[in-house]
Amino acid sequence: MLKVDNLHVRYGGIGALRDVSLNVAVGETVLLIGANGAGKSSLINAIIGLVPTSGGTIRFNERELVPISCAERARSGIGYSPEGRCVFPSMSVTDNVLCGAFGRGRKRQLQALDWLKSIFPLLADRAGQPAGQLSGGEQQIVALARAMCSLPTLLLLDEPFLGLAPIWISRISNAIRELQRRGTTILMTEQMARPALKLANRGYIMRSGEIRRAGTAVEIRDLALAEEYL
Amino acid sequence: MFKLSARRRARTEAAAVITLAATFAVPFVTSSPLVFSILNQILIAIPAAFSVFIMLRMNLLTFAVPAFMAIGGYSVAIAAANGITDAIALAVLSFAIPAAVAAPLGAMVLRLKGVYFVLVTFVLTEITQLTLFEMPWLTGGSNGLVAIPPTTLLGTSLSSNRAVLLLATALSLVAALIAVSLTRRFREHFDAIGENALLAQSLGLIVWRYKALGFVVAAGLSGIAGYSLVNMLLTAHPSSFSPISSVNYIAYAIVGGSGSIIGPIVGSAVLVWAANLFNNHGEYSPGLFGLLITLFVLVGKDGIIGILSRLASAPLASDASSPGRHSKAAAVS
Repeated sequence: MLKVDNLHVRYGGIGALRDVSLNVAVGETVLLIGANGAGKSSLINAIIGLVPTSGGTIRFNERELVPISCAERARSGIGYSPEGRCVFPSMSVTDNVLCGAFGRGRKRQLQALDWLKSIFPLLADRAGQPAGQLSGGEQQIVALARAMCSLPTLLLLDEPFLGLAPIWISRISNAIRELQRRGTTILMTEQMARPALKLANRGYIMRSGEIRRAGTAVEIRDLALAEEYL
Repeated sequence: MFKLSARRRARTEAAAVITLAATFAVPFVTSSPLVFSILNQILIAIPAAFSVFIMLRMNLLTFAVPAFMAIGGYSVAIAAANGITDAIALAVLSFAIPAAVAAPLGAMVLRLKGVYFVLVTFVLTEITQLTLFEMPWLTGGSNGLVAIPPTTLLGTSLSSNRAVLLLATALSLVAALIAVSLTRRFREHFDAIGENALLAQSLGLIVWRYKALGFVVAAGLSGIAGYSLVNMLLTAHPSSFSPISSVNYIAYAIVGGSGSIIGPIVGSAVLVWAANLFNNHGEYSPGLFGLLITLFVLVGKDGIIGILSRLASAPLASDASSPGRHSKAAAVS
């Protein structure tokens, strides 16, 4: 479904990603782990089109993404939940979620919203509340639901557990499992590798803008343990 | 920027339209020249303030309102001088020509953000001024276009004070309906762009398209204000569209409250009335006007409507101490 080959990203003169290659198959959940500055978010941002690439290819469902805009990539079936939640703070919870399906038509937006409310009851309980007034965990649920509102075939989750209490990590994990049961393909980054590895089929370890290791979730857990990521 | 709940938003939109529709009655209940004069100024300011309001919804501060007012006003003056005096035709013209000019301009200036966008829109107004002075064969140069034939409607001349006021009211009402339709239809799009354009883009919103739409419609509304101004003065003169007047239109939108469609109406009414009041104090007038704006900005950053909205929400907010009321109270704040 997603194939990244020899990708390079530079911020000014500094290389953020060097020769990164990975692939994600349909229905898989793939985890990128690594310390701060390893290049995880740069890779996610390059896939969704928020940062320009300086070399390499990104193919999604056989379509080359590099020449197309960020908005077009989202419309081609990629959902994105950014690092640090990034809700629209003064917009209501409902409006935030509906923003996840820009350009899909009102009817489809509302159908998706009803479906998401059945998965995340919070969306109904806090429908009219400004998203900026929610707790961090609640905002993460809103960001997750927003990313799902367009019914994407590939979901990019950038550090979904960042700064959350254990109870919310557990709730978000349950929400991700629900999405997996529905067949959503997921590429996620996480510094908190232990809970994230429980959700993943495969993983990659990143360091200094490069992919250092790849393997199944079990292999990555052992490697990560050895390299003190856990 | 404060945001109203859906119910309150619908109420303020209805209130904006009803307020302007009710203004049609004023010329039939009074013939005071002072009332006519101030009301005309307010009704000219309202479409211009709507123009600022639409751009503020996308977190863009524009100083280009006088430029598009001039394009709309001069288009109407030239058309009237060439025999097109029908009010509906001139209204369409005053909207369409600035909007058509704004479309290619938008492709250039909307790439800019923040202070750069502000500066470029100000320069745009300066260039328009220069063009008005330097093209005397079209604009009359420093003399402007004078003795413009009055507007007609179905062959009837609208030259009386009452007719001028009624036309200004109708133009303001049309501007309000356009602004309400646009901001209602694309509310989530504009809000998302205003709060975080990059995030909106990553969610599939084609940001430039909505920015361009807002810019073009805002230019058209400024053009309507220009028509109203030229129709009142029966003269199109560069001094009527001075770059510095853009500050007034921005003040009308911000002091009234840029979070609600009724804000620009309230802001225009209060500040135009205050400016007329301060005119009695001669040289102190600009100082007093500036003091009033400073006071409003310090006391209520969300404008008059923001202050009123918070006051109206206060009893509900205090009820929120009971657990079951939490979400309801927050929803209206």
